[in-house]
Amino acid sequence: MYDKKTLNSQKLDLRVGVFICRCGGNISDIVDIDKLKSSIDADVVEEFENLCSLNGRKIIRDNIINKELDRVVIASCSPITHEKTFQDYIQPLNPYLMDMANLREQCSWVHGDMDKATDKAITLVNASIEKVKQSQAVDPILCQTPESAAVIGGGISGISAALSLAKQGVKTYLIEKKPSIGGNMVKIGKVFSPVKLAEECGMCLLNPIMNETVWHENIEILTNTKVLSTERRAGNFSILLESNPRYVDEEKCISCGKCIEECPVEVPNRWDDGLSMRKAIYKPFSQSYPDAYTIDMENCEKCGKCMKKCPMGAIYLKGEKEIVPLNVGAVILATGHKTFDPNLRPEYGYNRYADVITQSELGRIMGVNGPTKGKLKMLSKDRVPRRVVMIQCVGSRDEKPDGHKYCSKVCCMVALKNANIIKHKYPDTDVIICYTDMRTPGMYEKYYKHGQENGIRLLRGRPGEVNKKGDSLVVRVEDTLQKKFTEIETDMVVLSTAIEPSQGSEEISKIMNVGITEDMFIKETHPKIKPVTTDVKGAYVCGTAQGPKDITDSIMQAHAAASKVAEIMNDGLEIEPFVAEIDDEKCNLCEDCISICKYKAMSIKDEMIYIDPMSCSGCGKCLTVCKPRAINIHGNIDEKIFATISGMLKGKKEGEKRILVFLDQVGYTAADNIGVNRVDYPESIYIIKVHSVNRVMPKHIIYALKNGADGVFIGEYPGDLMYQEVENKMNQIREEIKDHGMNPERLQFSNVYIPYFRGLANKFKEFDAKIGSMDA
Amino acid sequence: MDTIKIDDNPLELAEKIVEDIKFSKEKGLLKCVQCGMCTSMCPGARNSEYNPRAMIEKVLEGDESVISDKTIWNCFYCYTCHSICPVGNSACEVNQILRQIAISKGIANEEVSPFAGFVDLMMDIGLGGIPDNFHQDLIRDIGKEWEEKNMNLNKIREELGLKPLEMPKNSIKEIRVLLKKTGLDKRVNKLRE
Repeated sequence: MYDKKTLNSQKLDLRVGVFICRCGGNISDIVDIDKLKSSIDADVVEEFENLCSLNGRKIIRDNIINKELDRVVIASCSPITHEKTFQDYIQPLNPYLMDMANLREQCSWVHGDMDKATDKAITLVNASIEKVKQSQAVDPILCQTPESAAVIGGGISGISAALSLAKQGVKTYLIEKKPSIGGNMVKIGKVFSPVKLAEECGMCLLNPIMNETVWHENIEILTNTKVLSTERRAGNFSILLESNPRYVDEEKCISCGKCIEECPVEVPNRWDDGLSMRKAIYKPFSQSYPDAYTIDMENCEKCGKCMKKCPMGAIYLKGEKEIVPLNVGAVILATGHKTFDPNLRPEYGYNRYADVITQSELGRIMGVNGPTKGKLKMLSKDRVPRRVVMIQCVGSRDEKPDGHKYCSKVCCMVALKNANIIKHKYPDTDVIICYTDMRTPGMYEKYYKHGQENGIRLLRGRPGEVNKKGDSLVVRVEDTLQKKFTEIETDMVVLSTAIEPSQGSEEISKIMNVGITEDMFIKETHPKIKPVTTDVKGAYVCGTAQGPKDITDSIMQAHAAASKVAEIMNDGLEIEPFVAEIDDEKCNLCEDCISICKYKAMSIKDEMIYIDPMSCSGCGKCLTVCKPRAINIHGNIDEKIFATISGMLKGKKEGEKRILVFLDQVGYTAADNIGVNRVDYPESIYIIKVHSVNRVMPKHIIYALKNGADGVFIGEYPGDLMYQEVENKMNQIREEIKDHGMNPERLQFSNVYIPYFRGLANKFKEFDAKIGSMDA
Repeated sequence: MDTIKIDDNPLELAEKIVEDIKFSKEKGLLKCVQCGMCTSMCPGARNSEYNPRAMIEKVLEGDESVISDKTIWNCFYCYTCHSICPVGNSACEVNQILRQIAISKGIANEEVSPFAGFVDLMMDIGLGGIPDNFHQDLIRDIGKEWEEKNMNLNKIREELGLKPLEMPKNSIKEIRVLLKKTGLDKRVNKLRE
């Protein structure tokens, strides 16, 4: 089956035109152009000094039209340099009916022997001719995404993302599980900016943004609502939402608050960290939106007293969950965080001693709308604490069970902020921060110094335990700089608890099948260069759902996510058409393709495999696991590779060595770099560019070796998502080569890196020498 | 003034400890950031000059003087540091390894020889027991009843329907052979030099 490969093309007498570029001597100084021209079998063979110039375009176009060419080969520089140019120059032909033979970067710039370089050039052009004969006219797939987006999570990140999208004309649904938008920022009390060295009211900053969101006609806010399921189809998300009843009609309610006078049920107020009480009918906080009361049915006794009292008749006690369908073009995940449960560190006595609290609770106590109306008081006695000790890294930088290995990034700033606020209002209260490292990067350092000037004391040591001794609490810590075991007597202990993924983040990652990090945060595609995209195409992440960060960073990431959404909304999505397609007749629904695809392009819809062209990278890995061979890559890729191989092996002389090298975009760029830097390597090296080395099948490799290739070299960039798969595949293919009675050492697999071009050139030399020393 | 010499490898001692068969936290020691949590909870540190964090610091600096530092003998082996270390180190195990190094160097006889009696008992009666040299301390700490319990142990056991605490002669012989094979007797004799 490998010996004879009938190459099928739709039209047998395709007219091919070859256009050779001298490149101002860059090519013609080494490659004998006349010999090249006379050795090529094509309908038109033209040469030109600078093919990429506008005059070159005229020559190409005139020939295509006058000589009725079906296919074009450009024999010039690297496609990486000029492929887009020549795709444009061959209009009216379809851009995919052209191929470039790389005579400059991979021939004239790396070889010095004119005869050998010319022979190689002939072979490269032949390979391109064979390849274009197999090309098909394909059009880019246009994905029409609806100009709408769902933002999941109504905290500061979600609000910022929604607002940014709405202002760009995108219809946005802001989905929030709780009865009001606002998120964690509502509870903080004060925020600060290190540049001003001042604390500002957080609500006063958040409220105008919330109002803007409420009033924006492109935003629909859905509170008491959570996501049940999402389904993705080429730039479309079909989402099912579960909307829970509020039991108060937000249209009728005028927020007069008469209902709460009547309600007999009192429960701890979660919006106040449980430090105050609220009724079963309540309003989360004064500025909450929707501006209406809500009933918490878990605690409501359904006595009906509030209904009787309500002057607007807004209250109803019978309500059903509603399932709401939603269809949008993109999703932004802004599901936020929660804080570490201090009960998991019993040694700090959080649940034993009333005066051991968290930074979040301290924020409520210091907040003017909090349980003490902004007065700092001990929870056990009605007096101002004489001393407050803050313990950093509670649950962060901690590899013990339930702890988190990461640093939560904001706790040092939060501790300094609350310490400063205490120092401003109660200068007589001593504040000691027990730290391991103070992490106040950038401008925050100024605020750190400002805190020290205010008399905040810092003790370097991580406390092991909080105890009670007589009338006060005792924090046990080693002052590591003094090398002294120390017991600090104090009235109050504040734990700086870690930021961890919220329950909502965990739920949504499961519902949408979005990848998560080892710490359970939603994982971005690449932490450096793709910081807001996720591994689900069309879904983006921002804020603390993605990792610990402060408000500023959350807002920045929200805007970044919104602009990524705007990219696909405004410009439409043009996708390279070389994606996988499935033959439902052959498919047996074994789902092997689903499990192998790292791009999550495959899913099952209506008893059929659905391949999402937006997600598919066209790497071809699914082909290798599909037993019934039901998958094919659009655009005749398989045949093109066979044709290129046979072209590369055409006219091989007695005693000549030919090594075929398959490189992806990264490897090919590295190979071009060898030429750009004029480093040489043997003429036996023939490079074939593939979209992904996964597209090179065992059958291609065997076919090459059977038909005269002396060796096959495959290079891949280790950062590629599918790298591991390729490595596993190579060993299998070596076995297969053995079965065909050939030396498995004729196949080489290697890592490639763009800057490491000299290394690649050396590998070519070594492989060439190795092949040369083999017998048969 | 301290000089960190261009060619010294301060991690030699730490690496030796990490490779020791006794050490179960090979990923922890090098990650220590000197936070002092171990010292904050250490009963040895509370009642003496012993400081587990400072001991680890010396190990990481390659300061061999830590081996002859007498304070390392104040560790109680309570394993609190082992269980609370945020980076998964175990000061307690490092301590044990340092002590073994000290014993091998023959600079710990004073600290260890009182415990030789445990081995003698094992050799004599094939059972673990508390050597005579500790009896007075225990009577002082626990009280007279401890001594009385010892005097009347077999009687008490009889009342409880238990047999006397005695190993069969053959078993004692076997235990002796085993202990000699492991070289424990020689090690103990070395301590008494």
